[in-house]
This record gives sequence, C-alpha cells and structure tokens, in this order.
Amino acid sequence: MFTLPKEIEELRLLVRNFAQNQVKPIVRELDQAAAEDFNWEIVREGAKLGLHRLPIPKEYGGLGYGILGTSVAMEELAAVDAGTALIFGATMLGQAPILLSADRELQNRFLPLFSSDEPVLASNAITEPDAGCDLLIPENAKYAMNVLSARKEGNEYVINGVKKYITNARVAKFACVYANLEDYVGAEGLTCFVIPLDSDGVTFNGIADKMGYRSCLGTEIVFNNVRVPAENIVGGEGNGMLISIQQMNMARGTVAAISTGIARGAFELATEWAGERIQGGKKLYEHQFTARKLAEMATKIEAARLLYLKASFEADNSLPAPVFEPAVAKLYADRIAIEVAEEAMSVMGARGYIRDHNLEKFMREALGARIYEGTPEVLALAITDFLYQENKIEEEVW
Amino acid sequence: MIYTSRENAVAVFEELFTILIHDEQVNAKMREANIDARIVHKNPDFEVYFSPDKVLIDSEINNAAISIKMSCDTAHSLWRGELLMPLALAMGKVRIKGSIPKVLEFVPMLEPAFNRYNEIYNKHTSLV
Repeated sequence: MFTLPKEIEELRLLVRNFAQNQVKPIVRELDQAAAEDFNWEIVREGAKLGLHRLPIPKEYGGLGYGILGTSVAMEELAAVDAGTALIFGATMLGQAPILLSADRELQNRFLPLFSSDEPVLASNAITEPDAGCDLLIPENAKYAMNVLSARKEGNEYVINGVKKYITNARVAKFACVYANLEDYVGAEGLTCFVIPLDSDGVTFNGIADKMGYRSCLGTEIVFNNVRVPAENIVGGEGNGMLISIQQMNMARGTVAAISTGIARGAFELATEWAGERIQGGKKLYEHQFTARKLAEMATKIEAARLLYLKASFEADNSLPAPVFEPAVAKLYADRIAIEVAEEAMSVMGARGYIRDHNLEKFMREALGARIYEGTPEVLALAITDFLYQENKIEEEVW
Repeated sequence: MIYTSRENAVAVFEELFTILIHDEQVNAKMREANIDARIVHKNPDFEVYFSPDKVLIDSEINNAAISIKMSCDTAHSLWRGELLMPLALAMGKVRIKGSIPKVLEFVPMLEPAFNRYNEIYNKHTSLV
C-alpha cells in the first residue's frame, strides 16, 4: 500500500492545521498589504512548529524531516498561501548549500541559528539585474554579464554588485550568495559565499511589488565592498555553478509541492462552489460538463502530488540529488497549477473573478511558480540533458 | 591510477575505516544514529563495509544504511582533502544512496579518518 511515513503524515496534519486556522483567516490581508509589509507574527507562529528548520539534521537542532517532509509542508501552506510557503521554502534553499557542504565548521556556525522556535530565516541569492538563467546553465556561464564580483584580498573576499528579486533577503539572517571571482569571464568563476546580511556594506533597495506571493518579500541586495572570510565559501573557489545546480535539484521537488498546493487551493474553492450552486434544478457538479472538469482537475493534482513525492523521496535517498524526477515534477506541477486555477475560474464564474473568494490570488500565484527555481525552458534542458546522458543506464542500474 | 595494486588499496582503506570505527566519538554517533555504510570502490574494485562493530572487505552485505560509490582515485583525492565532498558530488564523482538526512550527519563524522589518511597511504605504498 502507498503510504507516507507516520511522522510525515503527522507533520502534514500539523501544518494543515496551522495553514487553515492561522494563515487562512488573514490571507486576504497578507495578499493585499503593501509590498513592503511583512507579517512577522505568522512567521513566528510557523517557527513554533519548526517550519524554518524542517530539513536540518537533528544533530544541529533541526527536525530532520528531509526534503519529503519539507515538500509535504509546502503543499499544505501553499493550498492557503504560496507566499507563506515560500518564506519557509526560501529559508530551506538558503540552508541547502551549508547542508550539502559537509563542512562541519560552517555547519556549526550557521545551522544552530535555527535550533530554537525563534523565527530565524535564510535566503538564497542568485538572480541579478543582468543575469538569470546564465547563472544556472553551465554552457551559458561565459555569456553572463555584470555578475556580482568577488576579489580576493589575503584571507578575505571583497564582494561588489547587486542581486535582484531575492526572497527573504530583507528579513533573513544570512544568504548564500553567488559571486564571480575576479579575472574569470562571465560567471565561470562563480563561487558560493555564506554572507550574514548585517555585514558592513550590505544594503537593500526597494521591495519588488509582485503580482502574487505577496506575503513574502523579494528584495534587491546591494553589496558594496562587503568583506567575507574565506571560510564562508561553500564547495571551494569557482564551484558555485555546481553547488547551485545541486541545490536546485534538491529543492525543485519542494517547489513542485508549492504548485500542487496552489492547484489544490483553487480546486477546493471550485468543488465547494460546485457542491452548493444549483443551476437547471441540480447542483453544478451533477452537470456532466462540470463533473468532467472537476474530475480532470482532481486527476492532475493527484498526478502532480505523486510526482513531487517521488522526486522528494529520491532527493532524500541519493546524492547528488537526482536531475530528472525533480525537473519533471516541477515542470508538470507548474503547468497544472495554471490549468487548474483557470478551470476553477470557469466553474466559479463571476464569483471566482472577484477578490473576495481568493481564487484570483491562486491564479496569480500559479503564474509565479514558473519563474523561480527553473523556468519551463530551463527544466526542459535539464530533462533532455538527462535523457541523453551517456552513462545513464549504468547509473540507473546502480 | 593512484592505486596500481588492489591489495594495497584494500590495506589502506581497511586500516582507515578500522581507525574510524575505533574513534570513541564516531563509534558512539554511529551507534546512536544506527549507521552502517558500504563503500564501493572502483579501479581497483573492492567493497568496504563498516559498522560500529566491524570492518569487512567484499562482504555480501548490501543493505547498509548508506552506500557510496567512487573510484579509488576520487577516494584518494577526497581523503587527502584535495577534492571537496560537495564538489565531488556535484561532478558525479561520488554517488551516495541511502537516507540523506543520515548521510548529512555521517559525512562530517569522517573527520578523524581525514587526519590519518596520508600517513596510512604513505605507510602502505612505501612497502611497494
């Protein structure tokens, strides 16, 4: 029988209870607040459940749930508010390079920050004004322009430049920041640094006024001669691209879970309405066309859930994290989130189009998931690279 | 190839993991986390299995909590500290299967073995 481990099911119920009872009552307020508003209260409540330390090993004060548990939690949060899910998801992303580093000293310095119920957040900084996918695709590295630079001075690096659309940056303790070593073309010397965000020389520009995910903050970070000790490098000089690919393969299952949650949130509104609304003398769901729509939506959500569960399970059981399963899961879940939100809109009619019922919020959020942690185009390249990998068969057998 | 003799490679890694499991802290942590591991070495080919109680070469135990596969050249670079684990993983030079939360706890435990590798390697290879 297909079942999740008992502790993961318990986590699901705990997070569902939090999302439904604490986030849902204020979800419109979160969504319609000014772009720069940040609700620490909801983060504080989430942190009491350990949502900021789900994948961190127990040895470092985390909950040790791995990617599978984190993904299940992401679905539950996103079924109410994807922005709240992303606050904790981006924290995991900022923790991931440190988790993968196998560097005990680095882990001892940064992971215990999350060991209490205090709402400590992390961030991951890749995107820049002039470079997005060029920092994610190795073949593109040499074409990357104006990349954040790192100049070595003794046992320190001096960081200069700008990162853009960085989730949590304004509210995080530290960020894993990708900068290019001076003297390397484009992003060929990309290196991952852990940088405390209260370091001298770190400032923040305006908050992005986003279409969705409004409860989390996307910020521009400016690095002006920020000095970082060499021991804050993850994975050695010039290996940032490899680290970020690892990190993304590890995290994509959790983003697929967010998209699945968005689809579920929209679907739940549609099924509720179709069970109440009477037209032509019977409930909407009893009309064959509506029934077909609901059945298709349910099938898509179930398939997306199975894909993200498998991707997350694989990520919890193999290193390097798999390429194929997380990319497939995210590609599919991102797509069906949009399709389901659109179908839900057609089931709910005018009721879905007005803000009161939050369906339009799910629609806006569904469009956002296609952008971060790999666009459909980047995912397609990852999937086909895997399909044409020369030693695929040998690796699969092992 | 760093190791031209299988016998030599086996001698080095058997001693290395024996030292590791006799480290009090490592042993206690392995027991506490219920960790055992199988390392599949290639070129030359052999397997090392180790638990808190024993180190076995080419055992038939294939259900260890953690399985690691890498070439002896990669192992040599890793243990010498010339190749960092996240990089080796990212490049596909090391592949690990098993509970990753356990792996994340396990890898930093290997520190005592890192400190001894060069000495053990030099001892066995100088005999050739």
